[in-house]
Amino acid sequence: MDAYLPILILLILGLLFAALSFVASTFLAPKKKPTAAKIAPYECGIVPEVEPPSRFPVRFYLVAMIFIIFDIEVVFLYPWAVIFRQLGSFGLVEVVVFAAVVFVAFLFLISNGAFSWGPVVRLTPGVPARTSSSTIARISGRPGGPVTAAGVPVSTGTPGQAA
Amino acid sequence: MTHLAATASTIHLPHVNYVSILPILIMMGGALLLLLLSSLLRRIISTGVCTAITVMTSAAAAVAAIVQWDQVLANGAQTTIAGAVAYDGFSVLIQLLVPLALGLTALVADGYLKREGVVGGEFQVLAMASASGAMVMGAANDLIVVFLGLEILSIALYVLAAFNHRRAESGEAALKYFVLGSVSSAIFLYGIALMYGATGSTNLAKMAEFLARRAVLSNGLLLAAMALLLVGFAFKVSAVPFHMWSPDVYQGSPSPVSGFMASVAKAGAFAALLRVFVSSLATQRLGWQPVIWVLAALSLLVGAIVALNQQDVKRMLAYSSINHAGFILLGVDAADARGISSALYYLVTYTIMVIGTFAVVTVIAGRQDRATGLLEFRGLARRQPVLALALAILLLGQAGAPFTTGFLAKFNVIEAVVLTHGYTLAVIAMVSAAVAAFFYLRVALTMFSPVGEFGDGPDDDVPLDPAALVGAATPGAASGVTTVPPRAWSAAMPGIDELADAPPSEVVEARGKVPVPPATWVVIGFCALFTVVFGIYPAPLVDFAQHATLLFI
Amino acid sequence: MLTVTWLVIALPLLGFVVLVATGRRLGEPWAGWLATAMVSASFLVAIGLYLDLLGIKAPVRSYSENLWTWLDVGGLNLHAGLYVDPLSMTMVLFVTGVSALIHLYSIGYMHGDKDFAKFFLYLNLFVASMLILVLGSNMVMTFIGWEGVGTCSYWLVSFWFERNTAAVAGKKAFLYNRLGDVGFMLAMFLTFENFHSLDYSTIFARVDSVSSLNITVICLLLVVAVMGKSAQIPLFPWLADAMEGPTPVSALIHAATMVTAGVYLLCRVHPLLHASPTASLVVAIMGAVTAFVGATIACAQQDIKKVLAYSTISQLGYMFLAIGCGAYTAAIFLMVAHAFFKALLFLGSGSVIHGLHGEQDLKRMGNLRQYMPITFITFAIGWLAIAAVPPLSGFWAKGDILDNAFAARPVLWGIGVFTAALTAYYMSRLTSLAFFGSDRWGQKHPVDPDPWAHHAEVGEQRAPVESPLVMTLPLWILAFFAATAGLLATSGNFSLSAWVDPVFGSSLFSNHLPAGDLWVLGLLDTVVALGGVALGIWLWVSRTDRPALEIPFLRNAWYVNEAYDTLLGRPSTRLAHFSAEEVDLKVIDGAVNSLAGLVRGAGRIVAKTQTGYLRNYALAMVGGVVLILAFMVTRMWWG
Repeated sequence: MDAYLPILILLILGLLFAALSFVASTFLAPKKKPTAAKIAPYECGIVPEVEPPSRFPVRFYLVAMIFIIFDIEVVFLYPWAVIFRQLGSFGLVEVVVFAAVVFVAFLFLISNGAFSWGPVVRLTPGVPARTSSSTIARISGRPGGPVTAAGVPVSTGTPGQAA
Repeated sequence: MTHLAATASTIHLPHVNYVSILPILIMMGGALLLLLLSSLLRRIISTGVCTAITVMTSAAAAVAAIVQWDQVLANGAQTTIAGAVAYDGFSVLIQLLVPLALGLTALVADGYLKREGVVGGEFQVLAMASASGAMVMGAANDLIVVFLGLEILSIALYVLAAFNHRRAESGEAALKYFVLGSVSSAIFLYGIALMYGATGSTNLAKMAEFLARRAVLSNGLLLAAMALLLVGFAFKVSAVPFHMWSPDVYQGSPSPVSGFMASVAKAGAFAALLRVFVSSLATQRLGWQPVIWVLAALSLLVGAIVALNQQDVKRMLAYSSINHAGFILLGVDAADARGISSALYYLVTYTIMVIGTFAVVTVIAGRQDRATGLLEFRGLARRQPVLALALAILLLGQAGAPFTTGFLAKFNVIEAVVLTHGYTLAVIAMVSAAVAAFFYLRVALTMFSPVGEFGDGPDDDVPLDPAALVGAATPGAASGVTTVPPRAWSAAMPGIDELADAPPSEVVEARGKVPVPPATWVVIGFCALFTVVFGIYPAPLVDFAQHATLLFI
Repeated sequence: MLTVTWLVIALPLLGFVVLVATGRRLGEPWAGWLATAMVSASFLVAIGLYLDLLGIKAPVRSYSENLWTWLDVGGLNLHAGLYVDPLSMTMVLFVTGVSALIHLYSIGYMHGDKDFAKFFLYLNLFVASMLILVLGSNMVMTFIGWEGVGTCSYWLVSFWFERNTAAVAGKKAFLYNRLGDVGFMLAMFLTFENFHSLDYSTIFARVDSVSSLNITVICLLLVVAVMGKSAQIPLFPWLADAMEGPTPVSALIHAATMVTAGVYLLCRVHPLLHASPTASLVVAIMGAVTAFVGATIACAQQDIKKVLAYSTISQLGYMFLAIGCGAYTAAIFLMVAHAFFKALLFLGSGSVIHGLHGEQDLKRMGNLRQYMPITFITFAIGWLAIAAVPPLSGFWAKGDILDNAFAARPVLWGIGVFTAALTAYYMSRLTSLAFFGSDRWGQKHPVDPDPWAHHAEVGEQRAPVESPLVMTLPLWILAFFAATAGLLATSGNFSLSAWVDPVFGSSLFSNHLPAGDLWVLGLLDTVVALGGVALGIWLWVSRTDRPALEIPFLRNAWYVNEAYDTLLGRPSTRLAHFSAEEVDLKVIDGAVNSLAGLVRGAGRIVAKTQTGYLRNYALAMVGGVVLILAFMVTRMWWG
């Protein structure tokens, strides 16, 4: 039973933290609730039936994902550090290899401009995702064949034909 | 804290036999090297260089596998790295087969990437990473390692499926594959957890030992574990009813990726399936064999029957690969040495045939993988007789015609299942082979029929996206917009709709010769020759598969 | 040298491949020379093999080699294996030798044909197939060769397929052969069932462990195969029609080599035949009756090649008579001698036909010895050889068979002696009509036109001319061997029996006749032969028309064709019509179509589940998981 005690404590701590967050926000947030009119968008006065989609730069997701990678690296480093002496040189080499692998990925991200905000600056030149010619090809389906109603290039026998 | 420290002081470092994982290390190293190169170079790394690096890496891995083969033959099979990795003929065969498949795929992809104007080394990096995952699965002797391989294999494949980002289907395919793949991975992982609960280990050897030694206390746990593991594998090998993703994904993915998926992903998954069930869970045969039986029967029938109606060749090949999965499952169902060797033989021959077939499809499909309809193959024999001949050979091989490798492959698995008295399954297999022969021959016939003569027109095929069907049926209906997914919105645009109704034959007649890059020629030629030469003279290949089995632990 | 045995087969095969690829470009005459060179090279290799084989001093000289393993599935273990022993070596030597000569001859004979290269392509493939048949170390190899020669024979018989008769004759040959092949295949299946192997050596080693009834059935099935291939009663009519092919084909395939494949096969399986007296008796009776029937028909034929065709049937009958008596060496002896003199006769007749610009009717020849002296001299040697006039080869070979028949089965010996007289008679008739008498080749209206015989295009007949050297050289060589092949009968170290006898071992019948009896029999044979020759010359040298001797019954080959037509042909045609119009269209097509419709329909229904929506796919997956778990629950409770 002793072995499970830390887990129990961790569980209680987690619950406490969550509860505290809620309680704290209740206390700290402004007391006055906004009216319905105040939260409504007011561009042209029409009451929207659905929530308007909120736009979010995809860069945030990218950064979050990159964070996770290094997060996990650290997760590995902790237990390694605890038993560093028992593992000896073998452990050191293994962790260096692991770090190097992650570092290569890091280099790749940098070279693709994943960390630069503002206008995209790529250290290695790439091909733009969309050019005028590719856009024309997307819309008209030329060259290469007609486009279905769904804007999908037709491969013969897809439903656009059957319908 | 005291007991933590106590356990820490007794760490035994595993002895690492690096030769046993050398091909995997080479493959991963190649991927990292290419990634590093493409990040550090100031210029865009050229596709040719990437292909060269990939092919050389594959070759190096294959050579390492041959070295392994000699070692295994000399020293016998063993497990290494604390029993987590199996080092036997079976694993070596996968270490050899996967690099071969990767090398061929890289050569096909070379032409594809140049045609599509995709630059950078990411494609090859992902392909190598994915291949290394399949190789890990082939060598894994621990369920956790199996899972590791499965994820390395799959995650790279999800991205590869989406690689043609200018093509909507490609993204759709990737998303479907990713979501369903994640679900199956989760189920698989749950199966591992239950298996640990039932046997107290995730190590295959220890599991087998445990199960052989004593009756399992909580039988239900073990049965549930087997069920969930089977589902995970069945998804990867696209056995019915876990096959739904494969037609859409094969059709949407770039054609070389479809070939890679159909060969390497299946090889890895089948290798792990065979090792986990036939070897490790052999004592629990009564529990899992009926499930395999049903999966095999359903895959055989559904794969063959639905393929009949397909008008898109890539879709048809997807169903055909479901059908093939059914055949390989026959070998699993037999669950003895003969079954394993026949399944391996089938895997090897099938891998080569399917990569060759998709190579031909890649060149025929043209830019953006558009022209994959059956009618596009019309008159191919007149325009490009050699290409048509090669495709005919590969299709006949898949149909199991005599004097191709496919014949003996089908014969072997059926024989294996007959010898274990699975007569019903054997009959189902033979019926499905007969049905399957029809749709392979249909493509062959289409190629050899002149333009404007053969054909019953497009059949009522299953749509890739039903939204398109709905959208096309209600053009311009504003009220319909909310009910259909966003991609059908353009249906509201007049004009495009009319274009869609253009008869396909006009498109076909306008076609001239499709350009075939030299590297793709090499692949097509290799695959066709392999199919014929080893079909006429199968002895070395059969030997190989048999030896790979004998060393199996 | 023996390790390159495969070269014997590979060389003609190479010729075939090269001709397939470049035949048209090579054209005349290089295609012909290439083919000839390949077969000649094969012959030289065969001589080398022969010398090597002589060096082996084992009780049975032999050499076997597995080129590769074809299939190793279950108990069935198929090798592409070669087996060289004195028996197959003899066959290889004379097959390659005679083929080389006939290839050479064909260069002249086929001169000007539009498909010159194609002809040699078929010939090369034929030689390769025949060698596979002979050298195969198991029944499957033999069967592959057996089918190969049959196919080539079909192509070559109908080589001039624009002529309807040629196309029909090719079809006929093919069908009769297929009937025999069914026997071969059934024999193979039964052999595998009983002996668990198809390798000759293994089969022979296990003869004692198989019941004699099974062996008899296997042998009888093989005899059926032989009937087809070697044109024995009742499957003989195709050989006469096969004369539609070019004459070198008739010489090579339908006299010297392919038709003797049956003889070779029965010799090869001698331990089986030895173990089954019933089958041996059947073979002997079949041989004797065929010899007699063939000879009677040959007496009344008017087409020069038809006479020779029926003569071939008759001579093959002798060989089977010998096999049925257990006298395998005698059968081989006649086979070799026959290959020489029959090829010679065919090539001679080809020379005659060539000289007469396509005329094949004996009644429109005559006095050709004046115009074609070389052809005449060589033909005469062949004539006297087949008539068994001493000291030519036919006398020794046929005498050997008759001696053994006398000791083993006296009744059949009687038939054999009578047939020998007939043989001498009809060959003399042929020679008299063609080479003696008056010039008739200019006549516009022939005496008693034979509807079956070929006539030259009616019109101005030019005087016959002697053939060119490429055609006469093979004649000389064959004539030399036809005259001297009797030397094989001497009792020295290099005699045929010292060479071949060890192969047959205890299966061989030995007649133990005292020397006196042998002398008497030899004398009798001589008298019979000379009597037949004298009768033939006396009756036919000055007259061409003797209806009493050419009764329709014989001229129409005992009405066998008509009998087959009435008994089998017409009813099966009617059955075929019924099947095609009623059974196939309505019953079978209906069933297949509705089944196919059912399958496609099922496919459409299943395809409906493929909606394209991710949620449905996930649902299907979960459904699968639930089903499998449910099954596992049943296992837990009731398992």
